[in-house]
Amino acid sequence: MKRLLSRLDRAGRLLENAALAVLLATLLVLAVGQIVLREVFSTGFIWADELIRLLVLWLAMVGSVAACRDNRHIRIDALSHVLPARAVVLVRVVVDLFAAAVCAVIAWHACRYLVLEIEFGDAVLVDTPAWLAHVIVPLAFLLLAYRFLVLTGIHVLAARELHADAPGSDAPP
Amino acid sequence: MIVVSLLLLLLAVFGAPLFAIIATSAMTGFSGDDTDLMNMALEIIGLADMPFLAAIPLFTVAGYLLSESNAPRRLVRLTNALLGWMPGGLAIVCLAACAFFTAFTGASGVTIIALGAILYPALQHDGYDDRFNLGLITSAGSLGLLFAPSLPLILYGVVAEVSIDDLFLAGILPGLVMVVMLSGYSLWVNRGNRRPLSTFSWAELGAALRETAWELPLPVVVLGGIYSGFLAVSEAAAVTALYVLIVEVFVLREIRLAQLPEIVRSSMVLVGGILLILAVSLASTNYMIGAGVPQQLFDFVSGYVAGQTTFLLLLLVFLLALGAILDIFSAIVLVVPLILPIAAGYDVHPVHLGIVFLATMQLGYLTPPVGLNLFIASYRFDQPIMRVYSATVPFLLILLVSVLLITFWPTLSLLLVPG
Repeated sequence: MKRLLSRLDRAGRLLENAALAVLLATLLVLAVGQIVLREVFSTGFIWADELIRLLVLWLAMVGSVAACRDNRHIRIDALSHVLPARAVVLVRVVVDLFAAAVCAVIAWHACRYLVLEIEFGDAVLVDTPAWLAHVIVPLAFLLLAYRFLVLTGIHVLAARELHADAPGSDAPP
Repeated sequence: MIVVSLLLLLLAVFGAPLFAIIATSAMTGFSGDDTDLMNMALEIIGLADMPFLAAIPLFTVAGYLLSESNAPRRLVRLTNALLGWMPGGLAIVCLAACAFFTAFTGASGVTIIALGAILYPALQHDGYDDRFNLGLITSAGSLGLLFAPSLPLILYGVVAEVSIDDLFLAGILPGLVMVVMLSGYSLWVNRGNRRPLSTFSWAELGAALRETAWELPLPVVVLGGIYSGFLAVSEAAAVTALYVLIVEVFVLREIRLAQLPEIVRSSMVLVGGILLILAVSLASTNYMIGAGVPQQLFDFVSGYVAGQTTFLLLLLVFLLALGAILDIFSAIVLVVPLILPIAAGYDVHPVHLGIVFLATMQLGYLTPPVGLNLFIASYRFDQPIMRVYSATVPFLLILLVSVLLITFWPTLSLLLVPG
């Protein structure tokens, strides 16, 4: 079970890294390419600027999913230095369950929005269906909700180990 | 409504992710006046409507690449060759190198890790007092915040819809004031200590210059490209990122190809964290503007505060408190849209406001309880946090004086700004 989980974690990490690298490389090539086209050939693609901005949206979404795996989301971390270890675990479980719930709600409403976009046939980049460009938003928030649940699980597991190391066991600190 | 706000405040203090707090407050607002929560998705997608935002991921990855290469070591060598001959020179080398590096890495604590590892032992070796070294490096770690192309400057420009080019120019003099004042303090503190001075040597300067030959054009590319009107900010960022990638990976070969995925990841994790907060803040800001909150705030404030001076003083106190609990990026996206109209009501120039905002938030890196630099320094140099606090206090006070100067002397910020 533990091995399966760590494999899953490694696969997810690789997938995030690959997605981030591809998105960033595309952004880089596109942005520099636009400059070259403009300065050397006095031309350019009209859709390039819009695509660059959409790529930033995708980078932001995938980046925030990756940030969750690394537990690097920005928090006001004022109390974990003063609370006792047990209380810290409880607090972390509560706040991360809260975050998971918020992400799930946003994912749901983003799905509803996407359905609306499909119905209306909205388009971006001249004639690409808009939902294709925006599908990353519900997807990312769904993954965020899942990741925060996993994070909660990790806190609980850590608490168990803390408990095992508590008085009685003679394991070195 | 009040109950929800209090609950959210409690969750925030207990360490819930900030984006979740902001998103919830926006959604509570929306459902309060029967706005469909689909709006949340619309606002988040609105991230793709913001111009120049591409500069943030591109400059960030360039900064991370630089800090993973040997560029920090070369930068220290060059600064040392230029300034090391002065009495107390190494302290000034430290301040100058940190400021330059932070401008490029976006003030995310990377400076202390990348440069501190070189400078801290060097300062110790030269016999500087250990407490002084600790305070110096901790406070120097966020010093370059006002210099182009730092991330907070760009983010302020995007959020406040102020010309980023103007902000880059406006930051120069106030940033220099901070560096000069800290340098003066460092010289004064070490005035009694006679250290073996390194002599100025053209040969060493030449060698250091040759070594940095590949990185030296960077500031020229960025600033020259932007001010000549040749490149937009996001384009300058793209050129910088591509240039750094080619130089460090293929020319100097200091970063192996296999390292790239993890470097890209750690830089995009930072970007993802910032932009997610920006995205949900777009929603909460739009809700608040729709509900007339800035106007109410202005009416409230103008009932108590008469002139610009009083307003600026009040703003300073508010920002100091804000900086103590919020990081600079969240503070920009959350608070700037609300204080911008108020500041306009008191005739504060939006560019000046930006410089004051960032300069004050820079102190937040050094103030307890959540000053990022304090924790990084404590962790990196294996020192008790209380010791880092007390070692930083004199530097914090100097910076506070410089912030007062920057706030009440708008010319400092606006002198170089055209128009």
